[in-house]
Amino acid sequence: MKNRIWIIIFSVTVLVCTAVWIGLSFFPSPSKIVGIYQNGSLVEKVDLTAQTGERSIELNGDYGKNIISVTHGRIEMKSADCPDKLCVKHGELKSAGSPIVCLPNRIVIKFENQSGSADAEAGALL
Amino acid sequence: MKQTKTKKLILTAILTAAALVAFTIEAAIPPLTPIYGIKLGIANVFTLFTLYAVGKPYAAAVLFLRITLGSIFTGQLVSFIYSLTGGVLSFLLMLLLRRFFPVKQLWVLSALCAVMHNAGQLAAAMLMTSTVQLIYYLPVLIVSGIIAGVFTGLCAQLVLLRMNTEKLILGG
Repeated sequence: MKNRIWIIIFSVTVLVCTAVWIGLSFFPSPSKIVGIYQNGSLVEKVDLTAQTGERSIELNGDYGKNIISVTHGRIEMKSADCPDKLCVKHGELKSAGSPIVCLPNRIVIKFENQSGSADAEAGALL
Repeated sequence: MKQTKTKKLILTAILTAAALVAFTIEAAIPPLTPIYGIKLGIANVFTLFTLYAVGKPYAAAVLFLRITLGSIFTGQLVSFIYSLTGGVLSFLLMLLLRRFFPVKQLWVLSALCAVMHNAGQLAAAMLMTSTVQLIYYLPVLIVSGIIAGVFTGLCAQLVLLRMNTEKLILGG
């Protein structure tokens, strides 16, 4: 009897979390401004819509070198020196819900909050 | 009495070695998904088994020796911090909840601890990268924790139910 209660609790949790995850990862980001962070501080901000041609950004960390590739409307981790290469397998940055993360070199690539940057621009105009 | 203690010690050593083998083999398998922290954690079958069959301090020994030696053997010292944070948190939860779960409900305890382990690792990752956005991975890590935890818990549970653990420690 007690087992059944736990099975229900776990099933509901799994379903809810899966739904939240799917919602987060398939909801495309309205913003096209991407921030590249290392050790928690901003390295560079890239506007994907303004990018023409291909550009590589190299970052060095404790565990080697990461190369980020930016083309028009697209950013991805091209190569990494770390053993698992999870950031490369992540592929293109698609949604705010799933940033590209390299844990060994502490690199995070994520979409910036559009409203936040708009506020900053408004502040600059004033 | 003294003999029992020696037996427990030897048993712990054997279980640690077995956990280490499981951990090393699992580390050699390439990750299934491009998301950190999703793995089965077969080595935890041995921690759980030790907790129920031998005792709490022995389970702690199996867990922390496995994490330390495993990180050295697989050469991934990056993961050591994450493993340790997750390990400490899930083990504390395990100690707290141990009395509420008999062997027949070991799978529940295991699932709860696995979720705790993943949450701890995520918290460590958030601190290390100073990125709050990593919280987006929480739902996935909860799901993977439940699935992996139920599986490893059932493994340990089935072995414990079929094995005379009293005899293992006291008997000849």
